[in-house]
Formats: sequence, C-alpha cells, structure tokens
Amino acid sequence: MLWITWRQHRVEGVWVLIATTLMSAAAIFVTYKLGHPGCPAGIPGGDICLQADPAGTVAQWILRVNLVNYGIVILPALAGAFIGAPLVAREIENGTHRLAWTQGVTRVRWIFAKLSLLFVPLLAASAVVGVLEVFLIDAMGSQPNHWNWFDQQAPLTVAATVFALALGVAAGAMIGRSIPAMAVTLVGVVATRFTLAVFVRAHYMNPILFSSHDPFSLNGSLGADPSAWWLDQPSYQDAAGHTIGQLEALRITGGGSPTDLPTYWKDHGISIVQYYQPGDRFWTFQTIESGILLALAIVLLGLAIYWVTRRVS
Amino acid sequence: MIAPIEATGLGKRYGKTWALQNCSIRVPVGRIAALVGPNGAGKTTFLHLAAGLIRPTTGEVRVFGRTPQEHRLLLLDRVGFVAQDTPMYSQFTVADMMRFGRELNLRWDQKVVETKLRSLNIPFDREIAKLSGGMRSQVALALALGKNPELLLLDEPVARLDPLARREFMQGLTEAVAENGTSVLLSSHLVADLERVCDYLIIINGGRVQVAGDIDDLLAAHRLLVGPRIHEDTRPPGVEVVRAQHTERQSSLWVRGKVSVLPAGWREETLPLEELVIAYLSAPAAGTLAKPQLEVA
Repeated sequence: MLWITWRQHRVEGVWVLIATTLMSAAAIFVTYKLGHPGCPAGIPGGDICLQADPAGTVAQWILRVNLVNYGIVILPALAGAFIGAPLVAREIENGTHRLAWTQGVTRVRWIFAKLSLLFVPLLAASAVVGVLEVFLIDAMGSQPNHWNWFDQQAPLTVAATVFALALGVAAGAMIGRSIPAMAVTLVGVVATRFTLAVFVRAHYMNPILFSSHDPFSLNGSLGADPSAWWLDQPSYQDAAGHTIGQLEALRITGGGSPTDLPTYWKDHGISIVQYYQPGDRFWTFQTIESGILLALAIVLLGLAIYWVTRRVS
Repeated sequence: MIAPIEATGLGKRYGKTWALQNCSIRVPVGRIAALVGPNGAGKTTFLHLAAGLIRPTTGEVRVFGRTPQEHRLLLLDRVGFVAQDTPMYSQFTVADMMRFGRELNLRWDQKVVETKLRSLNIPFDREIAKLSGGMRSQVALALALGKNPELLLLDEPVARLDPLARREFMQGLTEAVAENGTSVLLSSHLVADLERVCDYLIIINGGRVQVAGDIDDLLAAHRLLVGPRIHEDTRPPGVEVVRAQHTERQSSLWVRGKVSVLPAGWREETLPLEELVIAYLSAPAAGTLAKPQLEVA
C-alpha cells in the first residue's frame, strides 16, 4: 500500500513539499532578519526595523503581506480540500474503487493505509511550519500579545490540518465527487474556524472582570495586562453597578482636570470595566481549541471509515 | 462441491427502483457462465453484489458458501473482478498496474500476467490512458487472472471492443480459465460473442431471472415451429410457447419442450443461441415462473 499510495498521490506529495519548503524558508528567513535589525539603536523606526538591502526588502514584504501568517491559516484548509477530499472521492468518481476494493485487501486496511500515509507527512509538515511560526512570532517581539496570533500557533496549526484532512476525506467519501467535496471542505473548515474564533473561543473559561476607578488604567486595554485578551469594549458602571455610557460617566463626575478624574470617579463610585482572559491562559486555550478540532476530526474520520467500509457503492 | 455463486431471493433497491428482484441463481463450478439481459436488466447489480461491492436489500448471495459482504478477508483473494469500463488508474503504466496487483494480492502470479501481456505485445511502460480499448481490456483481464482466482466476474468486458478485439479477448479468457478450471460469470448484451465461449446461460430481464441453464440443454429444449397461420390464442399441446409471431399466412412459435407429432404443414427448426435469447428478452413474462433447467434435467 505504501508504494501504491505514493504512486497515486506523488503529485500532491510534491506540492506539499514545495509549500512546506516555501513556508519554512520564508519563516526562517524573516525570523533571521528580525534578529539582525538594520536601524541603529535610538532611532525611532517603528516596531520592526529591517535593513534596507534587497534581502531586508524581501523580508519586509513578506511581513507586510503576512505571507507566513496567512499561509499558515490557509494551507490546512487547502490540504483538506485538495488532498483530503479527492482521496476517496476520486476513486468513486473514476470507478477505480471497484478495482481497488476487489483486490485482496479489505477496505478497512485500504482506508487505514491511505489515511496514515496521508496524515503522517502532512502532520509533520504542519508541525514544522507551526513551530517555525512560533519562533517568527517571538521574533516580532514588539507585538507581545500572543492572542493576536492565536490561530497561527503550532498546536492549533497541527490540529487544524488534522481537522481539514478529516473533513475532506469524510466529505469525499460521502459525496463521492471531488469538486463538491472540495467546496464543502473549504467552506466547512473556514466556517468551523471562524465560528470557534469569533463565537466560542472567548467562553472556554469564564472571563475575568477588570474594574477600576481610574479611567486611564486600561490605556486601550493594554495598560492593565498587556498579555491579556481583552474582550469587547470597556464600559462604565455607576455606583449601583449599572452600565452607563461614557458621556453619562463624564456628566456625573462633572468637569475637573484629567489628573483629578480618578479621585472624582472614586468619590462617585464610577468605574471602568472590561472582561478579559489573562495571558497565562493562552496555552490552555490553545489546548482546548486544538482538542475541539481533534475531537471533530476523530468523529469525521470515523464517519469516513464507516462510509467506505459499509456504505459506498 | 460448493457453488461459486448461489443467490437466493436476492434483491437490490435503489430508492424506489428495484435494480434486481427476487433473484435466485446458482452458478455451476468450473464453467463459463453468461449473464445476459438488456441494458438496465440488473446484470451489473448482480455482479456487484457477488463481488461484495454492495449490500443486498433482500435475500443473500453466497460466494463459495460465504456472503461476500461479511467475509471479505476470505473471499477477496479468491475472486477476480473486472468492472464495467475496466476502471484502472489512468496515470499508471502497465507495469505500475502489475505492481498494484502484486502488492494487494497474496496469490498473485506475476508470470501469468507478464506472459499474457507479452504474448499480446502490450508494452509494459505505456500509460493505461494511452492503451487502445482492446489492450486496456486485456490488461484488466490479465490483472484479474493474476490474482489466480477461483471465480472470475466480468462485467461487460467486450462491450466497447471491435469484433476482432472481442474475439481475441474471449479466446484469451477461454485459454486462461481452461488451465485452472476457474469458474467464470460474465455479463454481456452481445449474445453472438458468448456462444463460442460460454456453456451456461442466465437471462435476466427487468431485474428478474428469466432463464438459467446449461446452454446445450437450453438449445436442445427449444424449437422454432413454423406453420400456417393459427389463431393467436392457440397453444400447441405439450410445449410452452415463449414467443409467437403471426403474419397473414404464417405463424412462428418459439417453444420450449418437444412436440411429439408435428401437425401437417408445420416444420421444426433448432434455435441458434441468439434467437433463443431474443425470444425470451422480447417476452419478459416468459420463463420467469418455471425454470427450464428443471424440466430438461
């Protein structure tokens, strides 16, 4: 099965190799460049300062278009659509499943062999790129908040790859045609990751309520805890704990110079509040979201195996 | 001896349509059996059921005494199957396909395949997509034979071949199975090609089995009676009319059984296989109830 699978999917194999090499090279290159900044100390050059030579320009360009950061989110979905979805679907489409499944190998063995030979190299590839990405994010040190790069971290990258491939294989087995299965996979991966990121992620653990009488304590949410994930927008509460508008808060406190505001607010019981997830929960959250994707992947793989062994044809 | 294929009450329904219904067939061992019927008669469905590719809705099919859906491990190595349109990996070369067969089958006989393909002058380094229809079918057959199967199932193996390639294919098949005593069931809607090769005939029509029996027995049991015009409802005694055709002055009756004394003015002709098949196919109601092989046995 090893040889057969390689012979059947070597084109995809080459694409994976190219994509992985490009992503790794880009990540290593930019990481290296960030470690050797071009501007002399003391010159305010913004967050990232790279040398003005051609290599620096290229690195700057890679950073500006976020090649690595976008690639690492997009590539798992593409792998699911272009490698996972056709795995079974193309056999059914071409009728070759009638050839493959009447040889001296049971369908269970056939699908397990295919899946393992598909998953092992792609997991290795996503792990390599994911880890390099972690180094890259670290190198972009002036943006310390990891929550902004939550989707690009290594655990989630690997889990997303597993999930996308599983969805692709299951959709391909159940639909039996490559193109629709690819579309379902792309939409499914994007929808799942979007839903998790936007609607679910904030609720993995109960957020903590930040509350202060100093209206400037949040300083754009970064002042209080730069490593935290600040949810929604800050709001204001009166002494009774009711949410009030910013104008209302200012009206109650009256005028006064900015330096007096904390005292004023304290006297009137007004506070600025915002929910947040503290920075030390970052890896717990990574584990939870990766776990959700992996659990979904296991269900989908079970479905794919069931469909291949019991339902198809 | 356990029958290579034994179906009882076998039926397969897709949605509301029955592709195959109440089908009971016993394919004898060591024979080349032909599964004949018009397009959409259920031939492919029957072969897929026997190959274990699909599950029956009703009844069961047993291959060497076991259901192929449940005993894949035991049966897959013993059964060779060539699906309709001979699906193969079009990017593979002939040599790749041989390796495919070798890696997936325990009983693989590389020499048989190589010898056969060499004798047909099929280049091993050619891609499947670039083979002619005849070569492609031969490669598919060689791969199935390479499994050294005890039962060979072929779904319309010659449907897309020209007459010469058809003859070559059938010849190759006969030679190959004669050596090992392999049982064969092949489906076709081209009856002319079967006569030389097959010795057992199963006619299915509209998802039902119409006729099943030894071809020699069937030929011996059927006659064409031609005589002066008779009334359409007239049934000659002692025979069963499969099909009747009446012109202004003449009546033709395709009958099963023997007429002891031919009435004056009537003559009796033997039926070529193709005529026999067409007689049944054009009269779907005939033969479904009484099975001819029981009468001639």
